[in-house]
Amino acid sequence: MGEGGLTHLAAVASPPAPPKTRRIPASGRRRKPILPRVWHFASFGAPGVLVYLCFVMAPILISFGYSLTNYNPFNPPVKFVGFDNYRLLFTDEQFLTALKVTTVLTLIVVIVPNVLGLGVALLLDRKGRLYNALRSVFFTPVILSSVVVSIVWSRLLDDRGPLDSLLRALGIEHPPGWLSDPDIALYSVASIVSWQMLGFCVVVYLAGLQGVPSELLEAAEIDGAGPLRRFRAVTWPLLAPSLTINTVVLLISAFKTYDYVKVITNGGPGSGATATIAFNVLQTGFDSNHVGYASAMAVLMLVVVAVVTTVVLNFLRRREVDL
Amino acid sequence: MTRAWLRPTVALFVSAVFFVPLYLVLTNVIKQGDLIAKEPASLPLPPTLANIHAVLTRPDGLFWVSLTNSIVVTVLSILVLTVLSAMLGHYLARSGKRWTKVLTLVLLAGLMIPPQVILIPITDVLRVTHLMATLQGLILFNVGYYVPFGVFVFTGFIRGVPVELEEAALLDGASRMQVFWRVVFPLLRPATASVLIFLGVWIWNDFIDPLIILGPSQGTTITTGIYRSIGQYQADLGSVFALMFLATLPVLIFYLALQKQFVKGLTGGATKG
Repeated sequence: MGEGGLTHLAAVASPPAPPKTRRIPASGRRRKPILPRVWHFASFGAPGVLVYLCFVMAPILISFGYSLTNYNPFNPPVKFVGFDNYRLLFTDEQFLTALKVTTVLTLIVVIVPNVLGLGVALLLDRKGRLYNALRSVFFTPVILSSVVVSIVWSRLLDDRGPLDSLLRALGIEHPPGWLSDPDIALYSVASIVSWQMLGFCVVVYLAGLQGVPSELLEAAEIDGAGPLRRFRAVTWPLLAPSLTINTVVLLISAFKTYDYVKVITNGGPGSGATATIAFNVLQTGFDSNHVGYASAMAVLMLVVVAVVTTVVLNFLRRREVDL
Repeated sequence: MTRAWLRPTVALFVSAVFFVPLYLVLTNVIKQGDLIAKEPASLPLPPTLANIHAVLTRPDGLFWVSLTNSIVVTVLSILVLTVLSAMLGHYLARSGKRWTKVLTLVLLAGLMIPPQVILIPITDVLRVTHLMATLQGLILFNVGYYVPFGVFVFTGFIRGVPVELEEAALLDGASRMQVFWRVVFPLLRPATASVLIFLGVWIWNDFIDPLIILGPSQGTTITTGIYRSIGQYQADLGSVFALMFLATLPVLIFYLALQKQFVKGLTGGATKG
């Protein structure tokens, strides 16, 4: 059983493959290829690689190219401006605000669903119909479109919406402007994203909790460890892979936040209180047509995502190995 | 346990609070239009199907057109994605050359590229190839953008299929393609299921890509249809809620039917990111 639990844990952390896996790359190298390699690539590899290159890699290079120009389709001619766009970014009030908005949003969206998700997973980590049904409740928002989630929450948080009616009924005469107050709107949007992502974290933590061998917990109990101590010494370290998955997935999706901002606040209220970098890229590129400048923003965003994700991933992976 | 009631009570309470927004959708779908704005949280009494009826019979056919577009885009995208990423996954898992490692890394990078970075140039690429504002353009973009996810799910599974199986089939005179589609692919069912489920839900729910690629007037998918209808029909909240419900229904049925597979795929597939 303990063995089974650990195998499951390994399955969560790495591709779910039978133990035979390890041998195959080695034997594959020793063996003569079954068929000529060129043919294998041309028929199996090339179609996928080609679409990927055309629709992802080439556009990134083009984006970088654009970012070095003042390209604006409605205002020719195109001039090469070097790194001017990038330099401009760091003095652009609007971009610096977007950077701050994205950072705050990302921090909230990485921390809140992770913490609450762990709590809910611990709460629901029992067998039985009730707990199964409640798991589904938490998971449902994950399969909803962000547009649907955004519209529902906009209604809920509207100045005359159900939440404010409830608060008024409780005697709060002037409830905060959840979406209309520039100081609060960002936290509202972050809460909405967190609400949708919570179920994802719950499911991943529940899968991780199934991999915690019950003998270990029983042994700790016999040794006199209380529930808190058992959690800290046994459960939490074994949940390391789940934490890694959740954090990386949340990080990447938080950086990309666009849909919610577009539908709920359209970047407002005021001067970009909720405008993320992702939102600004499309706004600048398509609405203001400053393609060159928007591309610089996009390229910078890509670099930030790549660096932060790699650093966080390495940090969390090292924690897993240290077990 | 003396406090056996504590856990279920807390669990129920927390879930109920969490469920409030979903309750709002469900009740307002079957609530009379004028009551939605006045008392959004009340029970839908008397219940009515007028909202759903209104959406289904709109003179501009917004729902049916959007539904057709969404189905065409989602089904074609996930079919092509499954074929291409299974085969590319096979190549990466079986060809032990050093450059496959490089290729794997390049594809891995694709998992964290924000769509915003490629959307601006992609519109130019599509314009040059006359695919801008077409469903084919959107499908091709989806295939390129999601191929890394498919590849990572499939590569892991293909490594678990013994090479000996393929060699035996080849010795029996099957072609490489036959071996893959008749011997290997049927063994990849769990991977195929996760790929189909995940990409299906993502592409169905996608908002930003159809919004930009299909353009402002050139037809809508179900999500962009909802987005536009809140702008145009601000007053008719009943229709908006009904539209949201109908748009979610296919995904919900898909999910309930494949629930087990879904969660397995989530924990298996997500880790490869």
